[in-house]
Amino acid sequence: MNSHPFLSVSDVTKTFQENSGKNKIKAVDGVSFNLDQGETLGIVGETGSGKSTLGRLILNLLEPTSGTVTFNSKNLSSLSTKEMRTSRREMQMIFQDPFSSLDPRMTVGDLIREPLDIHKIKSKQDRHELVQSTAKSVGLPANSLDRYPHEFSGGQRQRIAIARAIITNPKLIVADEPVSALDVSIQSQILNLLLELQRKLELTYIFISHDLSVVQHIADKIMVLYLGKVVEFGTNFEIFNNPHHPYTKALISAVPKINPHDRTDRIVLLGDIPSTTSKPPGCHFNPRCHLAMDMCRVVEPALLAIKSDPGHQVSCHLFVDESFTQ
Amino acid sequence: MKNYVIKRIGHSAIILLGISFITFLLLYILPADPVRQIAGRSATPETIANIRRELGLDQPLLAQYWHYISQLAQGDLGRSYLQKTEVTLLIQSRLTPTLILMISAIFLELLFGLTAGIFASVKRGKNADKSIMIASFIGVSSPQFIVAILVLYIFAVKLHWFPIGGYGTFHNLVLPAMTLGILGSGWYSRVMRSSMLDVLRNDYIRTARAKGASEGRVIFIHAFRNAILPIVAMIGIDIGVFMGGVVVVESVFGWPGIGQLAWQAIQRVDIPIIMGVTLVSAIAIVIGNLIADLITPFVDPRIRIRQ
Amino acid sequence: MSTLKRLIKRKVVIFSVAIIGIIVSSAIFAPLIAPFAPETQFREGLTLEGSPLGPNSKFILGTDLLGRDLLSRLIYGARTSLLIGLLANGVAVLIGTFFGIIAGFLRGRIGSAIMRFTDLMMAFPALLLAITLSAIFSPSLFIVALVIAMVNWVQIARVVYTQTLSISEKEFIEASRSLGATNTRILRCHILPHLAPFILVWSTLGISTTVLLEATLSYLGIGVRPPTPSWGNIIFENQTYFQTAPWLVFLPGLAIVMFALSFNFLGDALRDELDPTQRGREN
Repeated sequence: MNSHPFLSVSDVTKTFQENSGKNKIKAVDGVSFNLDQGETLGIVGETGSGKSTLGRLILNLLEPTSGTVTFNSKNLSSLSTKEMRTSRREMQMIFQDPFSSLDPRMTVGDLIREPLDIHKIKSKQDRHELVQSTAKSVGLPANSLDRYPHEFSGGQRQRIAIARAIITNPKLIVADEPVSALDVSIQSQILNLLLELQRKLELTYIFISHDLSVVQHIADKIMVLYLGKVVEFGTNFEIFNNPHHPYTKALISAVPKINPHDRTDRIVLLGDIPSTTSKPPGCHFNPRCHLAMDMCRVVEPALLAIKSDPGHQVSCHLFVDESFTQ
Repeated sequence: MKNYVIKRIGHSAIILLGISFITFLLLYILPADPVRQIAGRSATPETIANIRRELGLDQPLLAQYWHYISQLAQGDLGRSYLQKTEVTLLIQSRLTPTLILMISAIFLELLFGLTAGIFASVKRGKNADKSIMIASFIGVSSPQFIVAILVLYIFAVKLHWFPIGGYGTFHNLVLPAMTLGILGSGWYSRVMRSSMLDVLRNDYIRTARAKGASEGRVIFIHAFRNAILPIVAMIGIDIGVFMGGVVVVESVFGWPGIGQLAWQAIQRVDIPIIMGVTLVSAIAIVIGNLIADLITPFVDPRIRIRQ
Repeated sequence: MSTLKRLIKRKVVIFSVAIIGIIVSSAIFAPLIAPFAPETQFREGLTLEGSPLGPNSKFILGTDLLGRDLLSRLIYGARTSLLIGLLANGVAVLIGTFFGIIAGFLRGRIGSAIMRFTDLMMAFPALLLAITLSAIFSPSLFIVALVIAMVNWVQIARVVYTQTLSISEKEFIEASRSLGATNTRILRCHILPHLAPFILVWSTLGISTTVLLEATLSYLGIGVRPPTPSWGNIIFENQTYFQTAPWLVFLPGLAIVMFALSFNFLGDALRDELDPTQRGREN
């Protein structure tokens, strides 16, 4: 592992206050991970897992309540507003909803050019050329630039969003459910575009999704979140072929498999996802876990690496013997 | 639910306090010197200083405000400069006619407005609908005093059906109430129409029809009950609108309410009376809105449960 | 712009624009169109008893209580009403938009303080507040306009506030922030363009409100003071003759109603076109 990883998230926590202090919601609870340049991290979780909040914390769109995010050896929280704004050129976000993340009153050309205008990149004349070539590289038809977002389909709008994200030549892109709002047939198009761009531009991705099958396609490493905590972390291969945490196993069993021989029984989880304001004590997953032991209801398990693979971490009492502390 | 009620009452109380402060500020910054007005032309500087001290006008702002508030709390709105009577007494004596007019006017507005609105919504797109909407529009765009004068001219002067203003019998009430009623119905008919259209679009109306309910039942029992919700809140606002126009209507028809009182005070620049009427109107508006807000949860179960 | 084309097709819009055109032309070209100066009192403009004349060959619409030509006064009255309407409305829109945007964009304590203040101001009935202010400050054309503006800015502020609030929460604003846009840029390039249609609609509707308010104030004697003609004060002055010479009241009254009506129609049509939630609802 690098001594200076490209992106380092260290014990990041985000607590929201609602009702002027009466309700405290810990959306993200002590998440840590490192990412190397060129890698793709898939963050998987359902509602309330905190994955979207984590995505915004990584880009410093939200300030962490505690913990640090270090990008390119810079601690993001310690930067001044101006420095942060300049750093934004290198870290971009792609949002989930291609319908609401684009200003309907701006033309596609204006939208793609906006990052250049904000950071005053290139002269005004040169910007147009760059906008054109970027639009082309994401697969937008030639005459798109003068048209408005509402004239395009969901998949094309997402391409516009991607063009906006890559035009400043960023190094890191956080994609928050970029294909969830798209029709299934379009999803693979966009995913392939993202992979192609990653190759060409040497991008590092953080890919947030609730859909494991999408993540399987694109991620090198996978992090599974539940109610703000990391329950499992490992390489793509390890997570899908050697899942440990009961929650991970349940998610994987729900992924549709084309080959009938690959199909296993679905693990059905009990109950609903609890609300983030009233998390169960002990391991947050315990009410829904069919393997829960008494200890699980009382003590929160720590995130520990398993002996056979130090890159594979699990937060579950079932595997305490198998693991060693980091 | 209780929280909501307490919050709303608290909010209204703060607004009332704010109103009193603004009213006081306006009085305070008067360029016209009330002291000279009371003292008369040939007063000596001594007399003036005395009066000033008596009225407490030489004290700092906040002390005067405190004095004003405590007087208000006791129901004292000050003295008219010119009539040498207490404003509160003047207003009290004229409150009843204004209230009578207000209640009659709102009743007629609702009667005409809701009927027209329902009718227009049922006959949507047809000529009846279009004419009703245009009529409502004209009603909303016309200044009250012009319509009032017109009504007076046609029905009292030319046709002699009603007396030309005055107070005391039902005949006197008809013209002013009708003027306000027809003008104000414009708002209600438009809101009622669009509210009915919204409601009629809903699936539960389709279900009622599919179950075989008669059209009358569908409209009056199902649609109307739901469409009327925004109207309830409007009544609170309507009290405010009424207070705004009361000066004009009462003066045209010679109706002896607080509006006419204000009109006379305007002619003589008798500031305490004008302020008194303004304050009373503002209080009426706040109370009106409060009542509307408190009634709405009872009428609309969705709001009740959300609280 | 297709919106413009759609607007033009509507009959009410054509009607309104025509009326507004007539009134505006009268106001601008008043010295050229009016047969006489509005403040000249003619001895032959009154009967032997001193009452106003009805329409005749010299004075097309008759005269008023002081023997002045009614038509000329009406034409110049258009000028007064339009001037006050535009001035008062312009100031109201400026102040209202300013506070509305600040409250909606910054939110927090400043936002709620501003909104509480507008709540407070809305508790006062507009006319009575205008009357009070007029009584306190000595009258002049500008004071009247300012008083009306003071009363009207509140509603615009509230509308702008709600709109700014809802726009600020849209995802494309967050997207711009994530790109690194400053607040100034977001206000200028994203929020204002979205507010523009609303401001336009409320400006148009606002002219109608301001004109009505001015007419009412003048009718009560505390708006525009004679001899400067305003439609409202023509009615005010000539009330006593209303039974014998009703046209002195109804002609200016008609002018006021037509003026307010056209701006209301226009504003309503604009609102229908520009507000996407209204689209599809046949009004």
